Amino acid sequence: MRRLVLAAAVLLAAPAFAAEPVPEPAPEPAPWDERVLGAPLSLDAVAAGGTAAIDALIARGEALFRAKFTVLDGAGRPMATQAIVPTRRKRPLEQPFSRTHGPDANACSGCHNDPVVGAAGEFVANVFVSEGFESADFDSLDPQFSNERNSNILQGSGLVELLAREMTRDLHEIRAIALRKAREAGTEARLPLQSKGVSFGTITAFPDGMVDTTGFDGVDTDLVIRPFSQKGVFTSLRQFTINALNVHHGMQATERFGARWTGTADFDEDGVADEVSPGDISAMVAWQATLAVPTRRTDLSPVWAKAAARGEQVFADVGCAECHRPALPLDSLVFTDPGPFDAAGTLKQADVDAPIAIDFARLAFVETLPRDDKGRVLVPLFGDLKRHVIADQRNERLGNELMEQRFVPRDAFITAELWGIASSAPYGHRGDITTLDEVIRAHAGAATETTTAYKALPEADRQAVIAFLKTLVIEEALD
Amino acid sequence: MPRSPIALLAALALALPAHAADEAPRRPTGDIPLFTEEAAAAGVSQVYDGPWEFFVGGGVASFDCDGDRKPDMAIAGGRNPLKLYANRSKVGGPLRFEERPHGLDEKDAANVLGAYPLEIDGDGLTDLVLLKLGRNLLLKGLPGCRFEVANKAWGYDGGRAWTTAFAATFERGARFPTLAFGNYVDRAQPGSPWGTCADNDLFRPGAGDTPRYSERTPLTPGYCALSMLFTDWNRSGEPALRVTNDRQYYRGGEEQLWKVPPGGAVTAYGRKDGWQRLTIWGMGIAQFDLNVDGAPEYALSSMGDTKLQTLDEDADEESPVYRDIAFERGATAHRPYTGQDLRPSTGWHTAFADVNNDAAIDLFIAKGNVEAMPDFAQFDPSNLLLGRFDGSFAEAGAEAGIATGTKGRGAALVDFNLDGMLDLVQVNRGQPATVFRNLGAPRAPFGPQPAAETATGDTPAPLTVAAAPEPAAPGAPASETPASIPVAVAPQPSKTPGTGNPNTDLPRTGPMGNFLGIQLVQKDANRWAVGARIAVKTGTRTMPRDVLIGGGHASGHLGWTHVGLGTAERAEIRVQWPDGEWSHGYRVFANQYVVIERGKPDARYWYAVE
Repeated sequence: MRRLVLAAAVLLAAPAFAAEPVPEPAPEPAPWDERVLGAPLSLDAVAAGGTAAIDALIARGEALFRAKFTVLDGAGRPMATQAIVPTRRKRPLEQPFSRTHGPDANACSGCHNDPVVGAAGEFVANVFVSEGFESADFDSLDPQFSNERNSNILQGSGLVELLAREMTRDLHEIRAIALRKAREAGTEARLPLQSKGVSFGTITAFPDGMVDTTGFDGVDTDLVIRPFSQKGVFTSLRQFTINALNVHHGMQATERFGARWTGTADFDEDGVADEVSPGDISAMVAWQATLAVPTRRTDLSPVWAKAAARGEQVFADVGCAECHRPALPLDSLVFTDPGPFDAAGTLKQADVDAPIAIDFARLAFVETLPRDDKGRVLVPLFGDLKRHVIADQRNERLGNELMEQRFVPRDAFITAELWGIASSAPYGHRGDITTLDEVIRAHAGAATETTTAYKALPEADRQAVIAFLKTLVIEEALD
Repeated sequence: MPRSPIALLAALALALPAHAADEAPRRPTGDIPLFTEEAAAAGVSQVYDGPWEFFVGGGVASFDCDGDRKPDMAIAGGRNPLKLYANRSKVGGPLRFEERPHGLDEKDAANVLGAYPLEIDGDGLTDLVLLKLGRNLLLKGLPGCRFEVANKAWGYDGGRAWTTAFAATFERGARFPTLAFGNYVDRAQPGSPWGTCADNDLFRPGAGDTPRYSERTPLTPGYCALSMLFTDWNRSGEPALRVTNDRQYYRGGEEQLWKVPPGGAVTAYGRKDGWQRLTIWGMGIAQFDLNVDGAPEYALSSMGDTKLQTLDEDADEESPVYRDIAFERGATAHRPYTGQDLRPSTGWHTAFADVNNDAAIDLFIAKGNVEAMPDFAQFDPSNLLLGRFDGSFAEAGAEAGIATGTKGRGAALVDFNLDGMLDLVQVNRGQPATVFRNLGAPRAPFGPQPAAETATGDTPAPLTVAAAPEPAAPGAPASETPASIPVAVAPQPSKTPGTGNPNTDLPRTGPMGNFLGIQLVQKDANRWAVGARIAVKTGTRTMPRDVLIGGGHASGHLGWTHVGLGTAERAEIRVQWPDGEWSHGYRVFANQYVVIERGKPDARYWYAVE
């Protein structure tokens, strides 16, 4: 709380504000004030500010991430469901909190805290994901009502979003090329959809501008890479943050639930208008986006180091690295918020005069990342930002859900990034797998061949793979 | 179309409590889009004009005549010749049209009051129906945006009436459409024009492999129709013909609804059916299922009050009993909403559409004095009634920039530059047609606005801030901020982000809600699925649309069906095809142009190739 007030003070003191009309100073909150949000933050002002404004923004974002929102801030949504599209309830919620349909947490850090704030959560912190339209209320853990999910780590998510944006741009460019080729040739044109070495199937374009999407693989039909959530269905940290604030806390962002889209500043009818400003969403995005990437342990004993080296080789040899790609190259380190590919209901670049831009190059952890011969930063995420079928009838353990999410079949999930995996047990989408060996063996569907190869390895090699994975840590957790 | 004072109406209008001085008018709840008029720059120059016979009419047909899926248009000129414009607009850019030769001789191109697109012969090329003073024309569409008169080939006489309304439907099992023509005053009768309304005409296609319209079915009595619409009012699957009539000239007339059983006798609903007598200066019809109960509501433009009709609780499947909800919904639009002229206004083209993509349907009404009627407003701007989230409407024409006060007649709300926002073309009597580009919503600040100066002094380090890029056009790769702009700048007051033209003085605007453009395709007959119903579902909300040809005022649209989605980034589409069969659900992402071919398992996306 004290930190949040300090961050806000720094931001308000930023030189870029010198030329603004001086607003009436807000009355100083009492030391015992039970609100945590404070005055709303101006996105435009931050965008116009200097590095100090960015730093203050990040600090405020951390404070908001840790903040236990209160009813005075607008926590709770008595007349709104958890749906991502503003959806009114038919009758008020009887209880302000519910472990099933939500709100189910006081703070973001309530679930993203293991082993450090911003990371994952153990099984007790699972959430129950439902669309929130029909049957918005449910008091059962029966999977016919919701998908039970474990929390993901957020470390490195800024670089992940930048990778996704570049991949989206690549895929859109391929689509444009295919359309032009088809038009010029007067016949259909089929091109591979590939970005950063990851294949997303093929696209077939026709001379009249039509596109056949049936050849797409692991990506939505609008060719937007959505890298966030276990399922891979959220475009940006901004969209994820807005969704999560409503679902888990009943804190409604004005850019989604405000009067522009609902006709009222208090859509959830909790007595608090315009609960979370665009600037405060940006603060939370900025903090998450600048969380340091997970790293590798360097304090290994000789035995562990040897096993890890062997394990990394085996990891590649049996095919794990085909989806869990050790690194993807990133061209640009400038993170803009709002981003370019969000849709209405989440601010996007076209909505603002100038976005907030954070140059990740000045972040210490980025300086340590390797670069390829083209100067591109190699982001060591051990993922491919692509969805794969990961379960089948013979082994449903990683497809233990009944409900589709956002058009994605229940047996398909985005490749889990493995960076930090040694610091983020338990495993699996439901967080119900306690060891790495178990979760590897749970892979099926498109990973069946790799799983079979892993199972056929000598025990020493399987142990080596575990030894390798156990080196992928959130460094802060080692302190 | 009165020529005499209607003092009582004016007095009533002024007495309406909605305008009591102490009651604040409803405000729109969603974005108010900003329109800029750019007919001249767009290359559109057409004036609808002529003597008394052209006080009514003035239509525009919007459709794709050259196969590029961009909406082109044909604009009636009255005594001036019809003009055909091919759409040359770039995606998201200023509107641009190229006048094209239509191939009609001078006589055929003159005296056109209205135009409706329709695929008549099933060859996949959209045809055109011209409503004329005298012989109506059926134009067969040819490749490359050309047309030829097909009256003789299709056995259609064209008549000699003063035709002012049109609607088409494909009756159950029919390969070719049934055509209904609404006629105005029969000037040849003694005593004309008072009480001498001409009969309306229904033409059913004859048997055979080509369209044949040699058999005319008169719809008697006619009450000087100014708009008509085939509508499935009771969702029986059997469209009836709704006709709105001008009380100025009929005697003993009223609004009409005709039963049109497939191939059977056409009869008017009467008192025994529950049809209630309503007499208005009916000039335009639009339908939309406002309460998504399966039965459409109707907006009827008139002089003074616009009507908004919904089925009454006394109605049933056989009894079309309606009540007016215009007042409670704030849609009476009975007098000018801006300016000093308090006299009643005169409504013409009506259309439901979502112009701000907030998923709440809006209502456009073209307005304009008949000519110089002293008891009706001279400055009579068209209405843009934005749908509010409580189901009512609020006027936004002035703020949207369409309150120019030209004498509006027909119109079309169409996304000409394929940026996902509906543009507007309005035909004006005695004045050039106006073409408004929808720029989106004026950009709102997100917090206190900083001074537009470069940070100096104690600023610790340069800030990497990139100017806002142009919004990504649908289908075009969206831009990402380049990595190589490490410059210290404050936000620049760019004039036209969102407009595609940074060198103009247009205000700053930004995108509005998400959208879909939807086209339906069938094989062989009724290629563009006229009569289909589209249900777009996002969350718990269903947004219905109908593919119809008819209604409005002498104007029709065939092509992309626009749906605003608000904050939904995906949707499920189901189609009830004209024969009543429902499709499976098609899952699509927002901000796409979607083509659904009947029988195909997946919808396809379409992108403009430039």
